[in-house]
Amino acid sequence: MNKILIAVIAVVVIAVGVWAVASAGGDEDGSGGNENAQVRLWVMNNGPDPVADTEEIIRPFEKKTGIDVKVQLVGWDVQFDRIRNAAASGEGPDVTQAGTTQVPFFAALDGFEDVSGRVGDIGGEDAYAPGVWQTTQVSGRDGVYAVPWFTEARAIYYRKDLLKKAGVDPETAFTDWDAFRSTLQKLKDSGAVDNKDTYAFGTPGKAAFDLVHHVMPFVWDAGGAELNDDATSSTIDSPEAQEGVRFIADLLPDGLYDPTALEKDGQQVEDSFKGGRLAVWIGGPWVLATVKRQDDDVWKPEVRKNVGVAPMPEGPSGEAYTFVGGSNLMMFKSSKNKDAAWELMKFLSQDKTQTAYADLMGMFPARLDPQEQAGQKDANYGSFYEAIQDGRTYAPIPQWGQVETAYKTRFGNILDMAAGHGEEDYSPDAVAAELEEAAKEANGLLAQDAG
Amino acid sequence: MSTTPTADMPVTEAGPAPARRRPRLPSRPRPARAGIAERRRARFAYWLIAPALAFMVLVHLIPTAAGTFLSFLDLNTFTFQRLFGAPWAGLDNYDSILFDASNPLHSGFTNAASNTAFYTAWTVGLTLLGGLAIALLLNRSFPGQRMVRTLMLTPWVVPSFVVAVLWQFMWQRDAGIVNKVLVDYTGVLGERPTWLLGENSMWAIIVPSIWRGIPFAMLIFLAGLQAIPRELHEAAAIDGAGPWQRFRHITLPLLRPLIAIQLLFGVIYSAYQFAIPYIMLGSNPGPSADLLMTLVMRQSFSNNLFGYGAAVSTLLMLAMLFWVLVWYRAFRRDLVEAAR
Repeated sequence: MNKILIAVIAVVVIAVGVWAVASAGGDEDGSGGNENAQVRLWVMNNGPDPVADTEEIIRPFEKKTGIDVKVQLVGWDVQFDRIRNAAASGEGPDVTQAGTTQVPFFAALDGFEDVSGRVGDIGGEDAYAPGVWQTTQVSGRDGVYAVPWFTEARAIYYRKDLLKKAGVDPETAFTDWDAFRSTLQKLKDSGAVDNKDTYAFGTPGKAAFDLVHHVMPFVWDAGGAELNDDATSSTIDSPEAQEGVRFIADLLPDGLYDPTALEKDGQQVEDSFKGGRLAVWIGGPWVLATVKRQDDDVWKPEVRKNVGVAPMPEGPSGEAYTFVGGSNLMMFKSSKNKDAAWELMKFLSQDKTQTAYADLMGMFPARLDPQEQAGQKDANYGSFYEAIQDGRTYAPIPQWGQVETAYKTRFGNILDMAAGHGEEDYSPDAVAAELEEAAKEANGLLAQDAG
Repeated sequence: MSTTPTADMPVTEAGPAPARRRPRLPSRPRPARAGIAERRRARFAYWLIAPALAFMVLVHLIPTAAGTFLSFLDLNTFTFQRLFGAPWAGLDNYDSILFDASNPLHSGFTNAASNTAFYTAWTVGLTLLGGLAIALLLNRSFPGQRMVRTLMLTPWVVPSFVVAVLWQFMWQRDAGIVNKVLVDYTGVLGERPTWLLGENSMWAIIVPSIWRGIPFAMLIFLAGLQAIPRELHEAAAIDGAGPWQRFRHITLPLLRPLIAIQLLFGVIYSAYQFAIPYIMLGSNPGPSADLLMTLVMRQSFSNNLFGYGAAVSTLLMLAMLFWVLVWYRAFRRDLVEAAR
């Protein structure tokens, strides 16, 4: 009798276990049960509460069309792998957000829909700035593989109160490289920052996924470039590029740059600016939106009240380029509800929705008119709008992601070296050697072909 | 030896040769009674093992063989989607890893290999020493012994991910507790060192690995120590052996099988370590803390150079096979004795 009881219990337990696993798998699949036009959307960390914010914007769309949109968060640290795997395997959502610099690589995987036949619905090329529209293309291939969603650019955040304490006029503090450096020097010399709990400047090192976006503007402003004009070889070891990288790395041995920022990732350094540790920081517009949000408690009160934004400083070349990026929306070829997915993408491209979402996220709309309006909100947003007009991005080649990874390693090594943690001493020759290695690696990656 | 009955077979002392016996093949030893029952039991045993064996083949053997095959292909951004259909590269991947000094992939590999060797030696060495020391200390009864033993197990229970995140905060130069203790509270060091960058970053990953591994080593050694009969120590003490001599000649030899097992698994586990450097230091831990597995992850998944990653993994597997051979020769007699 006992044995039979045990056997029955065992069978029941196994059956329940199998059923639980099977139904969990079914939910993830998304196609189980609800065939009534469901669209799955992947978003990344846009703002402090990405899923809730996105769902709020989409609610009117769901009500009007009856299409059920399921929003899933995929963090920036894992989104590259996830999207690539989804495109290669054919199993993924219907629509995904993707970084503007990633579109060429993803499009080259052949897993994404060419929407050139549909973009007439949203005004096509004319509704967007040329730099923004370029991020939907792939070099060497016809077609439109993405729809621009929102735009962002990097600019300089500063503490108005600390600049005042150091006797620096914000209007002229960051106009060019000399002014930038002397501002940081004055912050340190005047005691506005104590180099113990507060530092003049900080930006993350190799632990940040967007390190290259922070360093490359200085390379551009010195007259250098990441690749040559037809994107066939790397020019990161040119004298101009070296000058650009050295400008930012030199701040470390001179005590103007918080060395502990190199231990932290991008989010932790952003939090250290919000927490009052840094007087000057390079960041994107999404941080401005959180200034007003009371549910973001990382801001210290005195920092929240004294945030200023200025465009990047002009370099020796006379230009003040900054990295302009943002995110686009891409539709998977494997989507089973392409029409519904396109309706969602159309909705997210309407001027009204663009403004509302960008407002919530603290980004800029990708479309021309709402973008200009967003720049008129206040002086800080105006600085970002100015930065976007001076915006520049990378060559739209499929191998860019890998080249960026190679550059990230070398930039990270240079910053570590400048802080005294490298295997060699920091010197212009050492910087040149690292950048030559970077160029070698990039050339190897550019030489890849389909074999 | 043939026992086919023939007419002229002599009658032996043991009695007359049996009248009918089945002919036996001369050179094949057969079990005394390979009865039907035993064969049925053996077959049933094979059926029970079959699912586990199928699982092993599916999850271990086939992917390993497939991975080694991938190491002979040219996989890059444009070809990785074809996977096994990618162009044949022969030994090019191995050549560029091992011999091509101008190739940045080569310097990355030699750097990661020497880092991994350093990391493995120190982690396994200090884990075993620490585990043995703590086990010796706990091998006596004192008030609160059981509670201390339970508390000592807690680092092992914490998942690797949590260990890495925790220590990443602890190692931070200004905010981390390690520097606070070393500089502010105890004054052992005058200046605050940076642990997460530069050469110290290797120690930043070794220390949590040891911290996490000591409980398991301690547990194994404790069990081994308690299996040593007291009489051996008492007899030796009576004969005038001091504590160190008793340790060297009684405890250590009897613990050898346990040391052997832990060396084997410890080295293999450490050589394949990935979670702690990856989570603590990111996908690029820097030249001082880059291990082979973080290198493979970076080159395969960030650079789409899957052939290169497969080649490095295969080389590491061969190195581990070599280690197992070395280990087996060194500890073979311990295994045989333990089996008895």
